[in-house]
Amino acid sequence: MKDRIEILASGFGGQGVVRLGQIVGVGAVNQGFRVTMLKSHGTEQRGGYVRTQLVLSSEEIDSPLVEDPDYFCVLSSAAYKQFGHMVVDGTILYDPAMVEIDENKTTRQIAIAAKETAVEKLGRPIYANTIMLGALTGATAGLLEKKNMLETMLKIIPKFKEENKKAFELGFSMTTS
Amino acid sequence: MKRFLETGNFAITEGAIMAGCRLFAGYPITPATEIAEAMSKNLPKVGGYYIQAEDECGAMHMAVGAAAGGMKTMTATSGPGFILYADPYGWAIGCEIPIVVLNSQRVGPVSGITGAPGQGEFYNARYPTQGGNYETIVLAPNSAQEAMELTVEAFYLSERFRTPVTILADQLVTDGLEDISIPETDEEKEAMGLRFMDRKVHMGPDFYPATDEIDLPPTVLGKNTGAMCSDWTPTEEGYDIETVEAHHKPSYRMIYKIRNHTDVIARHETLFLDDDPDIIVVSFGTASRTVKTAVKKAREKGLKIGMIRPISLWPFPDELFNKKSTYLSVELDYDGQMVREVERAMPCDSDIHFFGKCGELPTVAELHEIFDKLLKNEPLKPEGWEKEVW
Amino acid sequence: MDRLSKKYLRARKIPSTACSGCGLGQCHKALVLALDELEYEVNDVVWGTSIGCAGRQTFATWQGDNFAGTHGRVYAIARGLRLAIPPKMKIILTVGDGDAFGIGFNHLLHAARSNAQMTVLVCDNLGYQSTGGQFGWTTPQGIVTDSSPYGMSEPNWVQPEMDVLAMLKAAGATFLARHVSMDGVALVKSLKKAVQNNGFSLVHTVFPCTTNFAKNALGSRNAVNIFRWVKDHAAPMGEEKHNTLWRTGIYHDASNSRPEFSAALRDSVAEIQRRYQHEGSH
Repeated sequence: MKDRIEILASGFGGQGVVRLGQIVGVGAVNQGFRVTMLKSHGTEQRGGYVRTQLVLSSEEIDSPLVEDPDYFCVLSSAAYKQFGHMVVDGTILYDPAMVEIDENKTTRQIAIAAKETAVEKLGRPIYANTIMLGALTGATAGLLEKKNMLETMLKIIPKFKEENKKAFELGFSMTTS
Repeated sequence: MKRFLETGNFAITEGAIMAGCRLFAGYPITPATEIAEAMSKNLPKVGGYYIQAEDECGAMHMAVGAAAGGMKTMTATSGPGFILYADPYGWAIGCEIPIVVLNSQRVGPVSGITGAPGQGEFYNARYPTQGGNYETIVLAPNSAQEAMELTVEAFYLSERFRTPVTILADQLVTDGLEDISIPETDEEKEAMGLRFMDRKVHMGPDFYPATDEIDLPPTVLGKNTGAMCSDWTPTEEGYDIETVEAHHKPSYRMIYKIRNHTDVIARHETLFLDDDPDIIVVSFGTASRTVKTAVKKAREKGLKIGMIRPISLWPFPDELFNKKSTYLSVELDYDGQMVREVERAMPCDSDIHFFGKCGELPTVAELHEIFDKLLKNEPLKPEGWEKEVW
Repeated sequence: MDRLSKKYLRARKIPSTACSGCGLGQCHKALVLALDELEYEVNDVVWGTSIGCAGRQTFATWQGDNFAGTHGRVYAIARGLRLAIPPKMKIILTVGDGDAFGIGFNHLLHAARSNAQMTVLVCDNLGYQSTGGQFGWTTPQGIVTDSSPYGMSEPNWVQPEMDVLAMLKAAGATFLARHVSMDGVALVKSLKKAVQNNGFSLVHTVFPCTTNFAKNALGSRNAVNIFRWVKDHAAPMGEEKHNTLWRTGIYHDASNSRPEFSAALRDSVAEIQRRYQHEGSH
């Protein structure tokens, strides 16, 4: 494993980007990682994007800044425009319903139809965030342990447990099968 | 040991309660509000009090008033509130009342940017009140974990020195989330290096000794000791007096009880200083987090770069700057505050440079660009500046 | 005052540092008399003072515990201190009109709102006298001071339609009275009631400044003139005359009618602690 894993999540306010980061962060702490998490604030929240920057490491973390994301969960075009260029070797997980990607980009870009799947399979778009969480967990190929992430998510989101569980599984299968 | 993913605000509250804080008086202000909220929730559980004051000036007066009555107390704010502490801060210094003050710096002056980090109160923390004739103890954490540990330490030092101690944090320290380890047993606390001291009571009849002595119990009101504390120049008994001769004694004490015992306070982190580095980067608070990564990565590339991070910020650790080198002060302000102290402390044949950002951390990439320029003797040209200021 | 001085006051502070003929001594004496009549001991009181003539001349006169706070902030200090000291101990504050009604008014109102136990004796010399004699918030209209050389033109807070005691009552104070320092027995009686209220009490007492106020307003430092002038402009409530500036007596007495600040907080904390320990949850 790399000595430092950087995860960036960004989208509009209200899409649950901070919640997504919190679940990943708490889950990582449960797995024994050192974790830092910065969430964007204030004017950014009312402006174009909300951003969560997570760093995971087995060692003490110095810089909490994400400058070279290993994973970028992106839920808005504005966020993609703002931060997409930072991803060089990492993986971009984007929702095609909300993000128009740059096809010329050489980095790995995986479409996660989170919103569409949420509406189709679970009847409400609010589960898109959990689908993205499942997809991210799957994309990390075991770095984030599936069982732990699922349990952490259910602890942090105590409502609609069955739906969230299903949403997580749907997302997970999008990046593992 | 408890482990959480939590904010610095939460960590600070845990540290304070662990250190015996039983009263917090505050006033809502971003980004320190969460401390007040956590205190209002957690203090009553341990029999402590939360007071929400009419303003920051009232808040710190309440905290100092309770501390003068023998309680361990704390208040927390950000820049616009910190300046309103000037009045009670001076009272606490003069009356030698232990209290802990936290300032989570944001971007100023005035309201500035509320939810972003700054370090513009470097000097303000050194001179938190008017009149001079005192030294100040200021600790600067760079992480949530360290904020918790330094909160405990601040209570400890405030008791030993009979004076307010300021924790100079910033928005990223208090708002940022990190994995935090909270020790529960005495062994865990000791292993973490935490130091504790209970409040003791000075039984009088004198108010202060005209010496630099530390470890004297503070004067406490309400214990029927005939205690006197005031904002006036005190006689050794505590009576008010206005003579130059009398004023010399408490001034000497307020300055030298700290200046002559800096060994008790001093804390710092240094990296790669042993091979006469070409550049020594100086930073404190969260700015030092990206600096550390940048310095480590520069070393991997074979660049001779070292790092100094003062943790006890005031009294300023002059002794750390004894090597001839090219110093670079990295700060979350544009006016270059610490750069002046480094320049004063370093050998006179050294160079000093400054890189400032505000509202966000310098990135590792930016710092590497600065290092490259310095190593090539190229001038640093911050965006928008005609020429290098320092 | 010999017996009382010996019992309550510090020899070093007698005679006081006030100007010759100053009426502050009457306020101070009335308060000590009230405490004596209530059979208080030195150890029953923490005495706080503010900035200005009233604070400076009364600081460290009390044999027990004393503090002198920053200008206008003693009400906030007292609220914090109130939680740290035994509930039975009384906090008594001798302060000036500028301190209470000017720089400290916000803190004073919130002390009243929270009904924190403190007996505030506002010793009012009708302006800022220790800085040489500038007008304040109770300086009568037309009066010449160093900063109102053409006569005080602004309204003040003892005018009946905007009485500072009315504001304090509305803010939640549970005992309020007004006197002039030569009121003697009546002043002592009000102070006794004020101290017996386990809540926020304030006694506003006008006293003659023979030095700056008298010189500026009456053109003479003659103590007899200023004492007579103050007395002439005071009358008990309901017996006002055409020239009455200060309507004296007990203005509002709701003593012990609502919870005291620190007592309420102590109770609330004890209840939360009980609940928390009972539940044993984080």
